[in-house]
Amino acid sequence: MLCNFALLQIRGLLAVWGIIVEYLEKYKNSDHNFFNMDISCSNIAVQTTVRKGLLDKLRILTDAAKYDVACTSSGVDRKGNGRDMGNCVAAGICHSFSADGRCISLLKILMSNECVYDCKYCANRKSNDIVRATFTPDEICELTMNFYRRNYIEGLFLSSGIINNPSYTMELIYHTLYKLRNVYRFQGYVHVKGIPGSDPRLIQQTGYLADRMSVNLELPTAQGLEKLAPNKHRKAILTPMRQIQNAIVQGKHEVAVYKNAPAFVPAGQSTQMIIGATPESDYQIMSVAQGLYDKFAMKRVFYSAYVGVNEDKELPAVCTASPLLREHRLYQADWLLRFYQFRVEELLNEKHQNFNVLLDPKCDWALQHLEQFPVEINRAEYTMLLRVPGIGVKSAQRICKARRSAPLDFDGLKKIGVVLKRALYFITCNGKMMYNTKIEEDYITRNLLAEHEKLPFDKDFVTYKQLSLFDDSQENVQLL
Amino acid sequence: MEEYVLICEDTMEGMLTGVYEAYQIKKEKGISSHDLIHLAIARPTMNRLFTQYYDVKSDQIKAEKVIDTIRRVLGEQTYYRVCMAMVSCFEDKADTVYHTIVKGLMTKDKMIMDRLQEDCVNATFRYARASENELCHMKQFLRFSELDNGLLYAKIKTKQHILPFLMPHFADRLPADNFLIYDEETGTFGLHPQYKQWYLVEGVDFEESRINYSAVEEEYQKLFQCFCNTIAIEARINPRLQRSMLPLRFRSTMTEFKKV
Repeated sequence: MLCNFALLQIRGLLAVWGIIVEYLEKYKNSDHNFFNMDISCSNIAVQTTVRKGLLDKLRILTDAAKYDVACTSSGVDRKGNGRDMGNCVAAGICHSFSADGRCISLLKILMSNECVYDCKYCANRKSNDIVRATFTPDEICELTMNFYRRNYIEGLFLSSGIINNPSYTMELIYHTLYKLRNVYRFQGYVHVKGIPGSDPRLIQQTGYLADRMSVNLELPTAQGLEKLAPNKHRKAILTPMRQIQNAIVQGKHEVAVYKNAPAFVPAGQSTQMIIGATPESDYQIMSVAQGLYDKFAMKRVFYSAYVGVNEDKELPAVCTASPLLREHRLYQADWLLRFYQFRVEELLNEKHQNFNVLLDPKCDWALQHLEQFPVEINRAEYTMLLRVPGIGVKSAQRICKARRSAPLDFDGLKKIGVVLKRALYFITCNGKMMYNTKIEEDYITRNLLAEHEKLPFDKDFVTYKQLSLFDDSQENVQLL
Repeated sequence: MEEYVLICEDTMEGMLTGVYEAYQIKKEKGISSHDLIHLAIARPTMNRLFTQYYDVKSDQIKAEKVIDTIRRVLGEQTYYRVCMAMVSCFEDKADTVYHTIVKGLMTKDKMIMDRLQEDCVNATFRYARASENELCHMKQFLRFSELDNGLLYAKIKTKQHILPFLMPHFADRLPADNFLIYDEETGTFGLHPQYKQWYLVEGVDFEESRINYSAVEEEYQKLFQCFCNTIAIEARINPRLQRSMLPLRFRSTMTEFKKV
């Protein structure tokens, strides 16, 4: 009897539980519908009331943000949670390419182009008379959500001019991100700028909402910064960089111990500097970059060829061609540092301060170190394979895998994707070179130059012509 | 020496059934080597001498047996690569995939796809890479438009038939949206209902002219066009670089290149 009663009670409980579950489900669904409706309502608001303003604002604040380099959405792999919009792919996705050939991956905008600073090189400096605008957090969220949904973008890149003071600006950015993550429940990629000089607590809190944070180094050396950006100080820039670096390390520990701890800047931090506005040499710039990789654990350092927007006696003339080739060489060298295990000291030194304009840094290095060549493809170590011109990271990996099953010959190398017309001077397969070639600097240089290097800009492009005649940094020195 | 050609359907199921049948025929007829057996996805316009042609009827069960073996013996990675090669647009894909599988199974080599010196492996690798590239391009350049009932609609035109590999990406990304991707080339629809499993539909009549876009759609297209036009730096304008990163063939379905 008692037993039966207990059973009945349990059954009753189960029934009640069932109702609760059902109710919860319903509640959850209704909550969702309500939420969706909320967003579509605000869309309509955009439609009828703020629409005209929004288009203009977007134009102004995109225009103001376009000189920022970083537009990558890489570094974090986050599956969708099955409920909210968005995920992240480790390799990143470029959704479009603008007329200058740069990738559009993120909605790159400024929160505001109002600024209390007066950096000489910047289009948004306070002494410039330009149209100013400021987004509201809701406008940014709506744009992001609607662009993302249509597969236009991979996420948001938010930077800002300094409104009132750094902390006030950082707080605005934080509020926007908070809203985007917690009200709009966006799970895609967010890259946000850390504003030097703002309250460390704000940077800390923002870091928990962003995937990548970056603090701009602006110019390679402290002297350059002092000259061109009187309101910014090297120390104020390095402090938040260090803070983010430490917080990332700590965040990783926390995630290891507590599974659900929020990740701090999971895609790491990056920075950028302007090239060609101040007279630093490539050696100085690359040393700074290497320092940032080593000491600040940067994911990326971006180099931005100076584009003249302001007339100023401290700056190169506005009509000076942007040093695109130099920027290209710096990126090539940057790749060598990050993926090819090179050190700056190997590529450049006190005597040899700038990169060769005619040859890429890797070829240049190989020609200076002919005593290490030729390399036997079937025996050489991976790190040595990486140093052969014409063999990239992928080819080197494929060579290492393929030679496990059978020795490789030149035909096999071609199939693997090695650029033989560059590599043939530096390698042997089974003890033989491809043709009867000399290992002699002049001879190889001549042959390599005959194969015209593929550059990302046109040969008849004015910039390239000028750069191939003059070393641009020298040119800038003269102009100064 | 007499050769044998098995003609199978241009589907993953068809080709995998072909692989099964090839092993069967080799056993039954006591053929000395797999090199004498070939798979094709279409009957050649001219028959060759000393060659027997067979038609293979796609069979789900046989295909699944082959899939099972590939996954067990050659591993998931190889299986994925082989699948990607099978959806590519190359004519001899069935044959290269078949011989790659044979090579792999002969040595029970999970790393078979690394043996790029071998011609068939190399071809399979290249075909898989072509599909992979197309898949990446679609993830990048596909554009949804919102219809008046809230459904997201996208049209793609792919050389490689990668729609089945594309759907999981967007299903993971937009779980709360009803969306539809239409592959013009194959006439296949990929459908994803809100919070449910996605599926493919084939052979449905479809008139694009009957689509009604939502009221906000045009506004957002304008906003995005404005964004794309403004973000370019005038001093660096470089159409050649843009064209190499974003080939013209993709632009017909992309919002930012639409003429207003």
